[in-house]
Amino acid sequence: MSTPTPTPDRTVTIAFDVMGSDYGPAEVVAGAAQLSIEAPWIHALLVGDADQINDALAETRHNGERISVHHAAQFVAMTDKPAEALHRMPDASILTAARLVAQGEADGLVSAGNTGAGILAAARNFKLLPGIRRAALAAVYPTRATHGPKQDPFALILDVGATVEATADDLVAFAVMGAAYAKIISRNPEPQVALLSNGTEPQKGPPRVVEAHSRLRMMKGIKFIGNVEGVDIPKGTADVIVCDGFVGNVCLKMLEGVAETVVELAQYAYKESLRWRAGLAMLSSGIEKLKSVTDWNQYGGAPVLGFDHVFIKAHGRSRARAIANAGKVAAKAVSSDLSRAILQGLPT
Amino acid sequence: MSLPDRIDPPPPKRIYRWDLDKTYLRTEFDTLRQLVSTALQKAHEKVAVPGAAALIRELKQTGDVRLCIISGSPRQMRSVLEEKLRLDGVVWDELILKDNVRNLLRGRFKALRGQVGYKLPALLESRLASPVEAEEVLFGDDAEADAFVYSLYADLIAGRVDERVLRQVLEHAEVYPDDRDRILTTWKKIPPADPVRRIFIHLDRLTPPHYFSRYGPRVVPVFNYFQAALVLAGDGILTAPQAIRVAVEMAQTAGYNLLTLSNSFQDLIRRGLPLQKLTANLAQALEGPGALVTAVRPVPDIVRAFTKRIAALGTTPKPPPAVVIDYLQVIDDARPRTRRAQKPDRTKAGTPKGEGGR
Repeated sequence: MSTPTPTPDRTVTIAFDVMGSDYGPAEVVAGAAQLSIEAPWIHALLVGDADQINDALAETRHNGERISVHHAAQFVAMTDKPAEALHRMPDASILTAARLVAQGEADGLVSAGNTGAGILAAARNFKLLPGIRRAALAAVYPTRATHGPKQDPFALILDVGATVEATADDLVAFAVMGAAYAKIISRNPEPQVALLSNGTEPQKGPPRVVEAHSRLRMMKGIKFIGNVEGVDIPKGTADVIVCDGFVGNVCLKMLEGVAETVVELAQYAYKESLRWRAGLAMLSSGIEKLKSVTDWNQYGGAPVLGFDHVFIKAHGRSRARAIANAGKVAAKAVSSDLSRAILQGLPT
Repeated sequence: MSLPDRIDPPPPKRIYRWDLDKTYLRTEFDTLRQLVSTALQKAHEKVAVPGAAALIRELKQTGDVRLCIISGSPRQMRSVLEEKLRLDGVVWDELILKDNVRNLLRGRFKALRGQVGYKLPALLESRLASPVEAEEVLFGDDAEADAFVYSLYADLIAGRVDERVLRQVLEHAEVYPDDRDRILTTWKKIPPADPVRRIFIHLDRLTPPHYFSRYGPRVVPVFNYFQAALVLAGDGILTAPQAIRVAVEMAQTAGYNLLTLSNSFQDLIRRGLPLQKLTANLAQALEGPGALVTAVRPVPDIVRAFTKRIAALGTTPKPPPAVVIDYLQVIDDARPRTRRAQKPDRTKAGTPKGEGGR
């Protein structure tokens, strides 16, 4: 899911929920400001505390022709319980931003704030596409293999938390949504889609997975390669991996945990032995290259799929570059009409 | 009764002073290749900043006015520049260009890039020849030292800068002694007045607007000339229909649309410029006979877009505070960009080094 190529043929407005990210409004404003310079076809609608946004904007290089501000007095913090917070704060920035998108003031939404609140705000303001019963949160993650003709080092896994228990219908819809997203954002014309199960055989897994498998095998317009196992996730056997939100969330957290553990082990090794330190030093340029290739800041964020509007959930720790890239991904999904691509892929 | 031999134009009530490169013209000369390319361009190849020509034409319609252009372009480019201005329908009264050949022949290499030593005496000499009551509006850009030079010029003739400070500035800016003498002599001859109403800085390099807050609210950084037209309409210098005509030209020639124009409007409001009441005048002007405007977009859409941008901000932002400019604190801005000892990071508009503790 590399940063998309510019599509300057249409002006797209992306609403940014400026508040609630780990680094505060300044970083989101800086990302939108960067976008206003790099991507003239994208306009940023910054939603949040107008005073804070104005202060941050005045200090940052930007193009004022491509930025507007909408004041929202409240915001949901990372530690807030989403449903309760949105009930308590009807003017929360994420709710206001989603409402503005639904009203046509912007074409897509980017938020680096509370994920649950983002999905709830989208659910309250956006409509699910016809044929989609539940939305899915997709995560982009680096793999050993590259994907598609553009050699994209990232694959997509969905759902990772929006729908805890998915039916066979939901899993089929997730497969269609994931494939459409990979086609548009990764420019992978024929993404390989797989179901996550406890064995590659078609009959392996719970009944909903077995049923989804048999239906996906029959579907035209989707390159279904069958079931994959957990070990295939980091290998990158498939371009799109489909599972329910419970399983997907566990997998994603495990991947993050493994990555953190590897880093900690390397730090331990670095401190423990001079020989290991020398070895790591020799590997450092390769590690740096690997880091840059698989840097999550590049892909911007995770799409929330299934709604009639584009919503990219950026990482809470997103810096300006990641926010700008999330804006580009959202703009590309809008200008390529992701919703229509999903609808076309759904079984009639 | 006999007719006079000649009829002199009435003395100007207002003087508009424009820079050319990066203010009126889209010019790139950061590299040698760009410099050569700019020098070889023909008049029709030169591109004006969107809305600049329209704004000048509207300003010239406002009565007894004078257009003075002071540019750092070499005198050898006069005919090309004049032809370009004529192509754009711009009528000027004074066009001052830099004598860089003379600077080269005299080995005055610092003067080739120097801003203060060239622009300040040119401004002062032009002022000396102007009526004392004539107001001024100045247009420059963020590429060199325009905000500094224009502000210094304004404060010098208003008597807000003393000779000691001026001498220090001239020394820091490495102005040659003969130019120093010219500046001091001319300055002392100018009758005191406070004529400079506005200084517009075209943000060619997208310098963060806050960077210019050190020069006070008289200096207004603008992303485009629709913004300048709006501010001038707010100041009562232009009418609302005139501001709209600038926008129309930008829409027709440079792809500006309702979104970019209404964003530009909101940007000024966010910076505390009191333009809220202007929307009523703009709406009134739009609803009059304006076939040109309706061709761009239905009038209710335009009015709605602008009013929505104000409402979106919730409360009215505070106007920028008045500032007494301490020229010795911002003295580094007087030097050419390439020679600034500690070039402020204009990607962030923080306090530059040397200004700490204020």
